[in-house]
Amino acid sequence: MTDAPMTIGTTEQHRPEILHDVPVGGSLPFWAVFKREITQYFRSFVAYAIAFAVLFFLSLLFNGYVVQGNQQFPANSAYVPNILTFLMFLVAPLLTMRLLAEETREGTLEVLMTLPMGDWQFVVGKFLAAWAYYTVLLLITLVYHLILVQIGVPDMGEAFGAYVGAWLYGGAVIAVCMIWTAVTEDQIVAAFLSAATVLVLYLADIGATALGSQPNLRLLADILRELGLQSHYNATLAQGVFRAHDILYFIFVMIGALFITVRIVETRRWRA
Amino acid sequence: MIEVQNLTKRYGTVNAISGVSFSAGRGVTGFLGPNGAGKTTTMRILTGFMPPTEGKATVAGYDVFDQSLEVRKRVGYLPENVPLYRDMTARDYLMYIGEIRGVKNRKARALEVLERVGLLHRANSRIRTLSKGMKQRVGLAQALVHNPPVLILDEPTIGLDPIQVLELRDLVSDLGRDHAVLFSTHILSEAEQVCDQLIIVNQGRVIKTGSPAQLRGELERGGRVLARLESNLESALPVVQGTPGVKGAVIAMDGIVATPDEGVDPRPQIAQALIQGGHKLIELRPLAVNLEEIFLELTRQEQAASAEAEAELIEAEVRMEAEGNPNTSEEQST
Repeated sequence: MTDAPMTIGTTEQHRPEILHDVPVGGSLPFWAVFKREITQYFRSFVAYAIAFAVLFFLSLLFNGYVVQGNQQFPANSAYVPNILTFLMFLVAPLLTMRLLAEETREGTLEVLMTLPMGDWQFVVGKFLAAWAYYTVLLLITLVYHLILVQIGVPDMGEAFGAYVGAWLYGGAVIAVCMIWTAVTEDQIVAAFLSAATVLVLYLADIGATALGSQPNLRLLADILRELGLQSHYNATLAQGVFRAHDILYFIFVMIGALFITVRIVETRRWRA
Repeated sequence: MIEVQNLTKRYGTVNAISGVSFSAGRGVTGFLGPNGAGKTTTMRILTGFMPPTEGKATVAGYDVFDQSLEVRKRVGYLPENVPLYRDMTARDYLMYIGEIRGVKNRKARALEVLERVGLLHRANSRIRTLSKGMKQRVGLAQALVHNPPVLILDEPTIGLDPIQVLELRDLVSDLGRDHAVLFSTHILSEAEQVCDQLIIVNQGRVIKTGSPAQLRGELERGGRVLARLESNLESALPVVQGTPGVKGAVIAMDGIVATPDEGVDPRPQIAQALIQGGHKLIELRPLAVNLEEIFLELTRQEQAASAEAEAELIEAEVRMEAEGNPNTSEEQST
């Protein structure tokens, strides 16, 4: 047996005095959760595997793009962010599937939910950590933009819009995926449902175009287009066009999805 | 420090607990009951994890529903299956919980608490590499990190080896000197050793409260007695039946079960009669020595000992004996 005996306080001589008043002050629980989760990302193999796969895939496509485009057409600054927004249907579920599902399965959620903090604190902390990881990934892809600057004359305004857009887009998608990791305690199920949801939101734009050809379905098509992700990114931000409308869309998706997530987490108190 | 009034928790149409009331102050209070009795449900309500359907509970003067965050600041909770983050080191885990709780000087405090539970030498080990007993102690350290006035420990000794169980019991009774400790278990001997007060629950209801000595005394007077013999049981049965103070006796559980008259301990008389009759007596003990038997005794007393119920109970006991010790059966969480 490897266990050393516990120091037992039947005698007073060696009894570390732990019963003094422990000073307790204001705390920022979501910040503590954020720090833990971001550390987990940078310690985990999966996070590096995701980064490797994404960057490797991007570099292959980018290389082909540059070779093909050599002297033929102007550099498109949004090329890499556009691919990244498409890949988010794979990346975001992999980043988020663990966040709440694992805590539910392991039972650690019960500890979190009996600590003195609102349920939103750890949901937001975890969301911010996933978004921060994505932000780092996005910043790494700026390398491709530097290469474009070296070999061509890309539109800087377009690049700025595309990267800010891809950043907001990623946040919105990650927030949506948080819902599924709260719903189920099975990470794989969470990942599949997240991927499906993000893909539907990604393709909503195409669906809207198809519906729009029917005159009497015009309204439905417009609603679908507004709900979809691409119509707020592809046609505007990715072209360097900033519209308050699109920025607000991404912010509302984040807030709305996180609100739903917190509500679902709360139901654990009734379902447990 | 813990006041519970008429607490009820309903899942659909099933009552996990119904009308539970008790109070517990400083010292160790044992929450004793079989699996599925509602211990975990009650504890989860007291820790602010879930709201009750009906009733009221206050911890350290705060209502568990209306002032949940205030309650949670003052409670340390060790859930039943000791959930921990396996990828973190023991110290990092305690610092993390401490940070969420807003504890100052977290590093020093984490080490202090680890020393208290005897794990200082493993402070930098990842939790997954720790033995089950060590994990249990990390969980306990987690509950202590903010030095709460109230500690709620859900079956902390389950799955530990005997030495670890002893150590943990010592630690718990030690903590009871300064804290209000609510400690759930389904092992009576454990509750007897550690607790100042016992609350016995069954099927979501409190069926008895009192000090361990009180309860044992009550059960020994008027409780049924089991005599085990090396010699033939059939021939010994009339001897037991004829002993003064014995209302009736049957052959069951590999021996003779005697029901005494109200408030009488007939063991001296039974022993004397058996030995004088030339029977080889191996053991003579109150039937109720483990928790399952105590429940059967307590429910038997409630049922006014009708003949049918008696037969049913004995049948149940025989079945239980045949199935082996039910203490080790899989815990069914509510």
